[in-house]
Formats: sequence, structure tokens, C-alpha cells
Amino acid sequence: MWTSIMTQKLFFKENSRCRMNRVELINISKSFGGIAALKSVTLKVIPGEIHALIGENGAGKSTLVKILSGAYSKDRGQIFLDGAEVQIRNTHDSKKLGIGIIYQEFSLVPALSVAENIFLNQLGTTGYWMRWGKIRKKAEDLIHNIGFSIDPSLRAGDLSIAEQQIIEIVKALSENVKVLILDEPSAVLGPQEIQKLFNTLDRLKKEGVAIIYISHHLNEIFQIADRVTVLKDGISSDSLKVSETNRDSIIRLMLGRSLDAMYPVRNSIIGEEVLRAVDICLADKVKGISFGIKAGEIVGIAGLVGSGRTETLRAIFGADRLKKGKIFLFGKEHKIGSPRKAVKMGIGMVPEDRKQHGVILPLSIKQNISLTDLNGISNPFGFIKAKREKNNANGLITTLAIKTENEDQEVSKLSGGNQQKVALAKWLNRECRVMIIDEPTRGVDVGAKVEIYNLINELSHKGVAILVVSSESSELMGICDRIFVMRKGMIQGELEKKEYSEEEILRLSIGAN
Amino acid sequence: MKITAGLKRYLDFFVKYNTAFIFLIMLVVSASISDVFFSSANLFNLVRQVTPVGIISMGMLLVILTGGIDLSVGSIVAMVGLLCALFTHNMSLPLAILASLACGLLVGSVSGYLVSIHKLAPFIATLAIMSVVRGLGFIFSKGAPILVDEHASALTDFGSGNSLGIPNPALILFLVFVITAVMLKYNIFGRIIIAIGSNEEAVRLSGIKVSVYKFSVYAIAGVLSAAAGIITTARTAVGSPVMGVGMELDVIAAVVIGGASLSGGKGSAINTLLGVLILGMIGNIMNLINIPAYSQQVIKGLIIIFAVLLQRFQSSNI
Repeated sequence: MWTSIMTQKLFFKENSRCRMNRVELINISKSFGGIAALKSVTLKVIPGEIHALIGENGAGKSTLVKILSGAYSKDRGQIFLDGAEVQIRNTHDSKKLGIGIIYQEFSLVPALSVAENIFLNQLGTTGYWMRWGKIRKKAEDLIHNIGFSIDPSLRAGDLSIAEQQIIEIVKALSENVKVLILDEPSAVLGPQEIQKLFNTLDRLKKEGVAIIYISHHLNEIFQIADRVTVLKDGISSDSLKVSETNRDSIIRLMLGRSLDAMYPVRNSIIGEEVLRAVDICLADKVKGISFGIKAGEIVGIAGLVGSGRTETLRAIFGADRLKKGKIFLFGKEHKIGSPRKAVKMGIGMVPEDRKQHGVILPLSIKQNISLTDLNGISNPFGFIKAKREKNNANGLITTLAIKTENEDQEVSKLSGGNQQKVALAKWLNRECRVMIIDEPTRGVDVGAKVEIYNLINELSHKGVAILVVSSESSELMGICDRIFVMRKGMIQGELEKKEYSEEEILRLSIGAN
Repeated sequence: MKITAGLKRYLDFFVKYNTAFIFLIMLVVSASISDVFFSSANLFNLVRQVTPVGIISMGMLLVILTGGIDLSVGSIVAMVGLLCALFTHNMSLPLAILASLACGLLVGSVSGYLVSIHKLAPFIATLAIMSVVRGLGFIFSKGAPILVDEHASALTDFGSGNSLGIPNPALILFLVFVITAVMLKYNIFGRIIIAIGSNEEAVRLSGIKVSVYKFSVYAIAGVLSAAAGIITTARTAVGSPVMGVGMELDVIAAVVIGGASLSGGKGSAINTLLGVLILGMIGNIMNLINIPAYSQQVIKGLIIIFAVLLQRFQSSNI
């Protein structure tokens, strides 16, 4: 009796799956070294639908895409395609199943022609010789089919970004995709190009392709999507019909968490202005940013990835050359052309990418820490005072509670949180007057997060002016005295402490007002 | 279980000190193959032979530690060697030596300038310089060898003489080695060089002027190549434009046998010196047992592959 009900249920479920859904992801989870990127994601997309997937930075969108593309393998959960369970072990499997993915960064080969790019993974299937005429004709037809005219003999590298994206879509279509996933496609497009993209997607939808559209931009979702699923901290919400929901309820789903007591108490003692940036411009990434920071103040910059926040920090630190703009320190203008100059002026920067830029993995903790102040640990001839270096490193290891056996431990062997502390320790070596910290706690466990927040707080109490960029708005609200929100290379708004709300930050960063 | 753990420890130990082990194995093999090997005449000969490569290898080590490479060293040996012989004809000996070293410094600086300021790929920049300098050598000498002037016999005496029972050139090699070892281990110069090879951008973002250091390693390699050229001329009393052909490969091979990584950041002076000696011994013992020159090249190549595979094993082990 019981089993028969079960089978019936199962049968019904299977059946509905067959009829309805093109793709079904059931309870997908994925962790990286103990940190869960996806906890439980369920997503069902029917053919002929544009299904929007939205969520904050770090909510797990890219991880999900990479699981579908076969770049990562899921830890748990099931994937069904047209009702049959499938295993995606590598990118080849994903292609064979008819899953096409348009990434934010394109995968075209710039030196090859459009036609060659479209048929790149089919070259050689019809013999060893290139049939130029044939593939050009075929490429041209495909491009025409979706309503564009791009000469297939052009070099892919010579196309505009929007055209390249069209070619990516054509390439996916040439492989007869059943599911098309677009990861933040509009990030690189202008308004007219976005409209063209939407027209294309509409046409594909009518042809019965299931489309997953990943975006931050609420406007676009209301413009184009049929249903929307919100991803937050690796968990998916129910799928809502776009016609039956509104902006506010989506924003609530994207945030929906309370601030915990992770953040230190701020007793800001704010002094005179230390740093002022005036009209900073940097090769179309930053378009005229001006602001000031005072001693003892912590200022946050919020914004989406690609909004120009990291570039702004790098420009102030002299890591990238300014196109235009002035930087004043204590009221005096300084040309900061290189990080070396910035460091001399008392600016320190903990970069966004810890492993590539923040620390040197194969070197020891001690050597990493000393790197910012080699003169301080050596005699005038550059010979290292081993004892002083050791004591100095050990002092900082204690101050920051870096968990390690000793100061000679290779940084690559430390956990993410401890590596981040080393990246910070480097700068505590020097008497920095301005500290720039890009993503202070990315990939760091909760315990270390709290320690890092306390450390930043203490630094500000010592009168250091601190500039923090973070993708987590709650983090900025927890530690900063003021927050700027950046969007498309400009400051979209400035929030005082009493105006803080995640909704407001999100609104400003996606341009939703 | 216990046995395998113990075995693993021995294996790790062997892998960690593999250059030293290869060196010892080579010593034992050489001694057992030929009873002439440990004769003082042969050892002297060996040391003299490896000295130029040894001196340059210290400069090459610095370049390779930053993640670069210098292909021009062999050409510098030839050009400076014959310029030194030429200079002895119309200047005093100390001046001739200084001028020769300055020529090496100049060539190295050009490479360093191209690599550090213009961001040329080191392979390309030094390949071009290699060709230019080799050609200049032929132009300066009009294609013919140049004898060292008779009044500069102090140079040739030094080149073929001994002090404290050790050939003079070998003393210079030892001095260069000690300075390099000390600088790498105890000076911030070495610290920065190694850090640049590990992660150049992180070093730059720590507020260090990377270009100065990248420039200086090529300049140093140039000076040391010049020194090797002078010593070669001093030993043979003649400078020739065809000296040092293919020498850059021997030097790079020695550094690599010594465990340095061509992608930078890894390598030590002592292991490089051992690499030089290993390479020298291979040539020496093959001469002693009369292996023909053509076969020698093949065997040398195979031994280099073996040594580097062993290091690959080491890095994958970690």
C-alpha cells in the first residue's frame, strides 16, 4: 500500500518533470575547503522561459553557473535535463547536453575570424581542410537568423564588446543549445545594445530555448524575465512570477538578514582631513571621483563588482596611473605615480586579491611582513638584522593572533583568515596614516572576521584614516562612519550612519531609483 | 607502516638535498670509473675549466631568481675577452681590466634597461643582445684572435698561476660565490630578488621599486660575464671572437641542475655551485674515459633531463 503510493507519487513527479521542465536543479550544494558557496539551490526552468537569477555578490551565482558548465562538480544534489538525471563531470559533458553559457569574460579567440570562432569546436569534424566558403556562409546565416549583420571574416578581436557577445550567443546556438545561461550579460553593453540583446533573447525564447539570465539589475529583470529566483548565501528562494511581484519584495529576498553583534563599538574620534581625492579618472573605469577622509575615520565604498571601486583604491595607491585628478595629503597636493611613492607618503593598501597581490605565498610570514619595511630591519648596507626581524614579526603575529607555529612558516600553508592577517600585518609594520583595505574579509571565517574588524577599529582609534571597499554591505555598515556607493565609475550616493540600510545601498548600487 | 614512514623520511631528505646527492654520486662514479680523476692535476684542470661558467652562473642565478633569463652571457665573454686583450696593447693592465668590466656592465645594463623599463620579454631582449654582442666581437677583432700584449704578462701569469695551492681563477669564483650566497641570504637585495621572482606584483604593491632590482640583476650578470671573459683570456693569453659559443646554455643548465626554477623565486648559490661542478664533472670524466665529443653532448643532455625530472618530483611532492 505504502510503496504503491510512493511509486505513484514518484511516477507523478517524474511525469510532471517530463512535461514541464527543461532543466531542474534539486538541492545543489558545493563547498570550498569548508566554506559553503552553495548550501541548497533548487531551480527549475521550463522551455521558452527567461528565468532570472539574482543575488548579491558572493551569493553563489557564479558557482552555480560553473557547476552547470562542468568547471566545478557539485557536492550534493541532482541535475535533471528534460526529466532525465544527468551527470556533468566536465565542460565537454555540459556542451553535449546542450547547455550553452555566455560568460562575463568572453572566450573568443581574438586572432581568429568570426566564422572560425563560431565553429571552433566543430572544426575538423568534416575533414582536415578548412572549407572557408562554407563556414563563412553558415556563420553568416546564423548571425542573420538572430537579426544581426556582422561580417564573418572579421577578426573577433576587432569587434565591439557587444558584437563579441552576439558572436558568443551565435556560437552557443550553432551547438544547438537547449539551455542558454547568460552571466551578467548587460554589464558590458550600452543601452541600445542591451535592447538588441533583449530582442535576441525574446526570439530564442519563442523558439523554445530555456534561458537563465543572471543579473544584478532589477530593471532588466522586470523588462525581460518571466520568473525570478533569488539566491542568497547559497540558498535559493522560491521562484516568483515577475508579473506578480515587485521591486521591494525582491530586494527583501536578496537581503533578509539581521545584523549580528559581529562588529566592534565605534567611538570615532575624528580629526583633521588626511586625504582628499579630487576628480579622479582612470581609463573608463573611474569617472571623476572626489572625496575626503579624516584622521580616525573609516569610510566605506560600496558598489557592485565592476563599479570602479577597486580601481579607485588602486588609483589612490598609485598602482594604476591616473588619467586625471588630484590627490591631496594633509592639504598638500602629491603626485602619486607608484605604490612606492604612496608608501613613502604613509599610505598602505591591502589588495582585493590576497593570493595574487596581498601576500607572497611561497615566502615565510616573517619575510612577507618585512617586505614593507626592509630598511627598518637592515643596516645601511642592506644586511638584515635577523634578531630584530624575528622579534618584529613575532610581535605582529601576537598582536594579530596569527595562528602559526613560528614566524618561518610558509604563508601558503596558512588558512585564508591567517593569510589575510599577514597581508594586514605587513602594513602595521609602518606608521601608515592612510590604510586602504579592499575586501577585508573575503574568504575568511567568522572568527577571523571579528578579529579583523576589531583590528581595523583599533587602527582608526590610533588616528589612521581608513578606506574600506567591500561587497558585503552589512560589513561596511558595521564598521564604517560613512559609506559611498559607486556605480559605473561614479559616486551614486553618500550615506551617513543614520541613513544606513542595506536596501538603500543596494538601490544605489544597482541604480534602482 | 613504520617502515614506510621511515622510508618516506629518507626519500624526503634525498629529494630535498638532491643536488648535493647527485654531486656525491657523480664524485663516487667518477672516482670508480677513472683512477686519474682524483689526481691533483685532473682536479686542477676541472676547477679551471668550470671557473668561467661558475662565475657567470652566479649572475645567471640572480636573473633566473627574478623569473628572467640572460642569453647574452656567452657573447659577452667573447667580446670582453678579446676587448681585454686589445686594451692591453694601449693601456695599463688595471685600466684594461676596469674598462673590460665596464663593457660587460654596459651590455648587461642595456639588457636590464630593455627588460625592466620597456618590459621586453627577457628571452627576446637578451637573444637580440646576444646577437649584437657576438657581431660586435667579430667587428672589434676583425674576425681574428687577439694576443694579450707582452707587457701585460701579469694578466697571463695570474690566469695560469696558483695562490695557496689553488688556481687563481678558482679563487675568484669562490669569492663571487661567497658574495652571492651572503647577499641572497643576509641582504635585503637577495630578499627582494627572490620575492620578485615569487610574485612581482605583490612586491610592487608593497612599495618596492621592482624595476631597479630587475635592472641590476642583468647588469650584475653582464659584469660577471665580463669577468669570466677576462679570466678566459688570462688563462689562454688570447682573446677570440668565437669564445663562449653556447656557453649560455651550459650556465643555464648548471643553474637548473642546481634546483633553481626558471619561473623564478627558487634557487640557491650553493646548489648552483654544485650544479656547475656536476656539469663540469660530467664533461671531465667523459674526457678521461675518451668518450667522443659528439656522444658527450648527447649524454650531457640526458643527464640534465634526469636532474630536472628529479626536481619536478620534488616540487610535486610538496
